[in-house]
Amino acid sequence: MKVDKLMWKSFFLWSLLTLLMLLFPLSSCTNKEHAQKTLKFVTWKPNQPAVWEEIYRIFEEEHPDIHIEREVGPHSSTAFHDLLTQKLKNKSTDVDVFFMDVVWPPEFAAAGWALPLDALFSQDRQEQFLQSTILANTYEDHIYGVPLFIDSGVLYYRKDLLEKYGFNAPETWLEMVSQAQKIVMEESEQGNEIYGFSGQFKQYEGLVCNMMEFIMSNDGSFINNDTGKSNITGERAIEAVRFVRDSLIEKTAPRGVLTYQEPESLDLFIQGKAVFHRNWPYAWEISNNPSKSRVAGKVGIARLPHFEGSQSYAALGGWQLGISTFSEKKELAWKFVEFLTSQRIQKLFAVKSGKAPTWKALYNDEDVLKANPHFKSMKNVFLTAYPRPLTPLYPSISNILQRYFSKAISNTDTDIKKEAEDASQEIDRILSMTQ
Amino acid sequence: MPFSLITRERFFGVGLIIPTLLFVSLFAFYPILYSMFLSMHRILLSLPGLGREFVWFDNYIELFHDKVALHSTINTFLFVALTTGFEILFGLVIALVIHERFRGRGLVRAAVLVPWAIPTVVASQMWRFIFNDKYGLVNFIFYGNHVRSYTAWLADPFFAFGAIVIADVWKTSSFAALLILAGLQIIPDDVYEAARIDGASTWQQFTRITLPLIKPALLIALLFRTMDAFRVFDLVYIMTQGGPADSTNVLQFYGYKKMFAEGLMGYGSTISVLVFFLTFTISLLYIRMIGSGLMREEA
Repeated sequence: MKVDKLMWKSFFLWSLLTLLMLLFPLSSCTNKEHAQKTLKFVTWKPNQPAVWEEIYRIFEEEHPDIHIEREVGPHSSTAFHDLLTQKLKNKSTDVDVFFMDVVWPPEFAAAGWALPLDALFSQDRQEQFLQSTILANTYEDHIYGVPLFIDSGVLYYRKDLLEKYGFNAPETWLEMVSQAQKIVMEESEQGNEIYGFSGQFKQYEGLVCNMMEFIMSNDGSFINNDTGKSNITGERAIEAVRFVRDSLIEKTAPRGVLTYQEPESLDLFIQGKAVFHRNWPYAWEISNNPSKSRVAGKVGIARLPHFEGSQSYAALGGWQLGISTFSEKKELAWKFVEFLTSQRIQKLFAVKSGKAPTWKALYNDEDVLKANPHFKSMKNVFLTAYPRPLTPLYPSISNILQRYFSKAISNTDTDIKKEAEDASQEIDRILSMTQ
Repeated sequence: MPFSLITRERFFGVGLIIPTLLFVSLFAFYPILYSMFLSMHRILLSLPGLGREFVWFDNYIELFHDKVALHSTINTFLFVALTTGFEILFGLVIALVIHERFRGRGLVRAAVLVPWAIPTVVASQMWRFIFNDKYGLVNFIFYGNHVRSYTAWLADPFFAFGAIVIADVWKTSSFAALLILAGLQIIPDDVYEAARIDGASTWQQFTRITLPLIKPALLIALLFRTMDAFRVFDLVYIMTQGGPADSTNVLQFYGYKKMFAEGLMGYGSTISVLVFFLTFTISLLYIRMIGSGLMREEA
């Protein structure tokens, strides 16, 4: 009898505990009243938080009934992608508005995560934006995101040093290498330790952007437009990869670039330790800010060099705003997206944080040009920036390319041709899945 | 009373087990079985149009032809062998030291555990700084002020792999030491006394008494460390992201990339299942070894 009682008692208690523990996480979802007015915005940690604070303040002043709740993700695009897709995969209603890197819209569209915005984002409004940014947000004739910033690879250089040695900004990669070699040699004789070049060559997404610029500026390409198949085994593409391995890494750039993402490579430049630097437009404001940079005022900006007989290409980057298909407040979400991407707010971003706007008219705006004099000459670079392959399976292709490029440039004795063939086969296999 | 005492006690036993069983099923068996179920599907999150096709063992066949998977499997085994080997060795040395009586032993014991108490993410970030090519401590120790000869350790496929091994050994040797110390403490002093009276040297005492008696503890430390090392992820994620030249790509990281970055739920699960079976087989082997070891002790 006694055992029975104890048994039931313990059984009952345990079950109750189990139930409680299972129910506990669910109980937090019931507070609907408050949630109605809160918009969840998944964003990354900005370089200039003060500007963002100001913009949130303006929005909440104009829409006192809406509160923006930010979830700040990692700065790295790849890590941010993992966080965001994890939420969307689970059809989380915790996300209303989110940032998308320029390569994601096809994936988010095909997966059904990003809301088609055709009804909200009118054709007339779309025409106010730079065309390449609209194209990047379009997948199978529907638009899935509103571009906020445009990025494209540009070349920064030490104006003072180039002038000192009587050089102009280099037109070709070879010219850049020979200028760098001369400057590095002469400067080191005077006790000034400096490297020729810094860029992003770690095994990550940025490596793909950097290498695409080298390959395309040698008339190569990732994907053959006629056959729709991988083209990285092409002679021109391999030549460009070989150039990076044999003439840039350890010769012009420190070997450390193989571990650099944007911040580390920019660091080298603003410490005055690099003559040339490949980065996105945001680096202009930082490298000319005397409180952050030792080379403020000595920085020049130019379009990226190219190989002999070809022309310059810049990788298209940039950030778009999307609305989650699973959001319960799509109309409020659009209000916020429309606000952030509006001409006046983009202008604020451009003037105060040096972000390149996607709104065409702003490239003729006096205030914007006063704060960013380089926008005038860079407008064409932005207009011609070239997208990475537009496919919903881009993450897979990028991972294959990252592995291939990292292998090809980290060891001087790698058989580039063979590695390229292996990678090419894998890419074709992935591409065939979409057909 | 319709039931006998024994039956009632059985009921009681079952009643006590059920809640635990429910918990384990929900949080261990269900995910494992579901992973296996997923691993037999072709699911591409970014192409929902393909649906969830059941493909039997296609993913496994693909896995055996996947050069990258093979490469990361080799890396993983190499990592496991190197880290567990060094960790047990250093763990043993540390345990022997902190087992001795000396002034400030409590402090040393606490200090030894500090690396283990630091979250791996933080420790990885720290080691990334230590191996940094411009301001890293390693470069400063080797080259001092000769900034020009500073080496980018993490840019070299060989050294980058070495770096994650060193970081792991630094971090978890003390955990092995803790387990081995527990084994040392159960050896009674009179055994040593008897050995000394018989004229055994310190080395003989160590090889004939200490080592055989702490064998179970050593095996348990080995078991824990091997299983843990197989799951290495955070070190790679923070320090190298699998690069350079894919030299630090390990299975868990590769599976993570497939599943979370590329959205290949089926194939990613296949890799997880492989990791599961690898650790499962190895732990079974160890448990058999520990079991037989213990039995001999009793005999």
